[in-house]
Amino acid sequence: MSKETPLIELRTVSKSFGSNKVINHVDFELLPGEIHALVGENGAGKSTCLGMMYGLHEPDSGSIFLSGKETVIDNPAHAQQLGIGCVFQELSLAGGLSVAENIFAGHAPATFGIVDWKKLRQRAEMLLGEFNLAIDVTAPVDKLPISTRQVVEIAKALSLNSRVILLDEPTSALTPDEVDALFSILRDLTMRGIGIIYVSHHMSEIFSIANRVTVLRDGRKISTHSTSKTSENEIVAEMIGGQVPTSAKQASDAIGDVLLEAEALSFPGIFEDISLSLRSGEIVGLAGLMGSRRSIIAKALAGLFTAREGVLKIKGEAVDLRSLSGAMKAGIGYVPEERKTDGLFLDHSVRDNLVAASLKKHTTNGIFSTASARQATQNAIERFSVKAASQDTNIRFLSGGNQQKIMLAKWLETEPEILIIDEPTKGVDVGAKFQIHDELRKKAADGMAILVVSSDFPELATLTDRILVVREGRLVGEIGAEMATDDTILNLAAGVEAPPQSTSNEAERSALQ
Amino acid sequence: MSLQTLDKQAVPSLMSRAISACLHTRELTLLLMILAIVVVMSFVTPYFLSASNFRAVAVGMTPTAIIVIGMAILLASGGFDLSVGSVMALSSTVVALLLLAGVPIPAAVVLGLLLGAVAGLVNGILITVIGINPLVATLGTMSIARGIALVLTEGFSVSSLPTAFSYIGKSSLFGIPLLVILTLSLIILFDLAVRHTRFFRQIYFIGANEKAAILSGIAVNRVRIIAYILTGVLAALAGVLLASRLMSGTPTAGNALELQVLAAAVIGGASLRGGEGTILGAFLGVVFVALINNAMTMLAVSIYWQMIVIGAVLVCAVALDMLVRRQSA
Repeated sequence: MSKETPLIELRTVSKSFGSNKVINHVDFELLPGEIHALVGENGAGKSTCLGMMYGLHEPDSGSIFLSGKETVIDNPAHAQQLGIGCVFQELSLAGGLSVAENIFAGHAPATFGIVDWKKLRQRAEMLLGEFNLAIDVTAPVDKLPISTRQVVEIAKALSLNSRVILLDEPTSALTPDEVDALFSILRDLTMRGIGIIYVSHHMSEIFSIANRVTVLRDGRKISTHSTSKTSENEIVAEMIGGQVPTSAKQASDAIGDVLLEAEALSFPGIFEDISLSLRSGEIVGLAGLMGSRRSIIAKALAGLFTAREGVLKIKGEAVDLRSLSGAMKAGIGYVPEERKTDGLFLDHSVRDNLVAASLKKHTTNGIFSTASARQATQNAIERFSVKAASQDTNIRFLSGGNQQKIMLAKWLETEPEILIIDEPTKGVDVGAKFQIHDELRKKAADGMAILVVSSDFPELATLTDRILVVREGRLVGEIGAEMATDDTILNLAAGVEAPPQSTSNEAERSALQ
Repeated sequence: MSLQTLDKQAVPSLMSRAISACLHTRELTLLLMILAIVVVMSFVTPYFLSASNFRAVAVGMTPTAIIVIGMAILLASGGFDLSVGSVMALSSTVVALLLLAGVPIPAAVVLGLLLGAVAGLVNGILITVIGINPLVATLGTMSIARGIALVLTEGFSVSSLPTAFSYIGKSSLFGIPLLVILTLSLIILFDLAVRHTRFFRQIYFIGANEKAAILSGIAVNRVRIIAYILTGVLAALAGVLLASRLMSGTPTAGNALELQVLAAAVIGGASLRGGEGTILGAFLGVVFVALINNAMTMLAVSIYWQMIVIGAVLVCAVALDMLVRRQSA
């Protein structure tokens, strides 16, 4: 295999964003007909690597070779011309336009610039036919379920007749059947000599589909193995740098009274019949795949979305939360999922961000005390060992992990009794992840009730006391800490029959329904 | 609706689908409202239905109708242009000055349109390459273009143009003013182009999700710049036609026109969020506003009250749309 010319090759490339070196002398190659997995913790540099191969980032040093020829990839349009297609983690479809038009975004079949709608429809149907999916290609994309949209996204990359296809977590919203269909398509593609770079953190997927796997950690390449000559454990150990974390689950004797209780919350068409309770000292997970409505359910508990039916009780008293400020008065804190768009004021200082939810605390007789805010920020920076030039630095310039720590600290500043946190460690490095988990465990031990919403199932399995699983807006089961693994949660979340050994899950599920 | 979509054999469902689709398009709603105005007004006053009134309304709205094409395209791409009124005034004065200086009519017209292209190019570059917010960038060029028109003419209208120049603005074909025919042709041409050409379909991707458009390999900046150039040219064309109709170049023409155009486009289904709207819809928005103004004038409603009514119509149209969307969401 090593005699072949790689379709695409990174030779000692490096890339920095500001002072943050995200890719450090990385070598990587993709051979024709190969599926090459790229793995690493969040922040290891996988997305940046893909970005360089798709013309989004230019390497600071080193070079990219396409079929043996040194090439500068200017932008995504250029990458596509060079035969590189990409499916990104975030959905990139235009909602109001039809499925067919989205698949061929900007490249619709046309004569003299006039779109040939019939041909467009036929080609789209042909591409989607490979997935055995009956989709009306004339329907607007925003009417489709998320998993179908992901399939459309993949069809979009296939539509370009690419020689190299970059897939960034393509299965995060797919059901197991759809994953199987995708894998058989990917295998077909490799038969045609197409090379695929596959980014995923599902080890089982990687070992079932990839020929080779390259591990990145902190922007450096750690190793490249043939998947037949390595093991999941070896790869995981390389990803996290040797020390396998101990899953320090907390003792359940700290658990106290019910602080928050939802009884049959419903918003027809979005979620139905959500009943759950959170006790003091408890960390509860809310797990679900994309499109499971896990985030909107969390919002409904935090006053950001008002359910049409059902009762929400705080410390046994029914409350009618119509806004987050109302929820905060009732003792709720809410850390949103999207750090950059919803959580932070990117062009404001670390201090401004930290005190944004607790201005009152630093105000006497209407006068805001910068000294008091400064002290609070200093404390937070020390407690979370945040790396920032100073507390006056714009938070934009901090790494994802440090931003996330400040966002959590901001809400801890409001001293909530109930904390609802959506994707607590999305896109942060391993160190920050452990620290955030540690802090959440400490807060729970001090009596806080914490609801962790996440699609990162291994995270839920190590962090929480029990996990509620949602699928399509309904609670479909609860998994106790002792039973929780990546697979048990995934099976329940995706609606797959649980394997025989976990019959207690089945029992719990049917008990709940 | 999705259930009916799957049921392809049933003919009646196809019918009802067509009807429900019509009810959900802004174009049809507007058309019905326009008809309603016409019917009501023809009962109220006999002058409303007269050919001369229709001709006056049609000719009067040609500048707005031509410019709204560009504005609708910009809105669909997530941008807009406040300089259109000023560019119109500038091109009308420049063409008039060129004609006075003895430049042949075709050359003067082409130069006037080129001026609009340059104005659009400047807007496009400021917004895409340099990254200035469209509001700020076009507010700046709006002021600059108006200023140049006033400097060139010292604030006075430029008249005594060669009589042959009035041909475009004043002649008729089969009793229909050439201006109206030209405007309608442009509307039809661009409506079809936006619906069916690959180039203009890109506009919707850019407006719906700019990042996704970039990742889909769409040359976003190039498309945006072209859309601004097109809008500049259309504004300049409106200016040339205005000069021809009035036989003078007016540096103060088109004051606050940009806001009228924006309002009409939004009433016609465009949105400042981008990603939606059609040329036909925007045009019907222009017709609707023009008819309301005309009706109020006929009813001797004061011009001040007309402003209040148009503002209320704009806000109501958008509010209604938001409510409908929230219902279906």
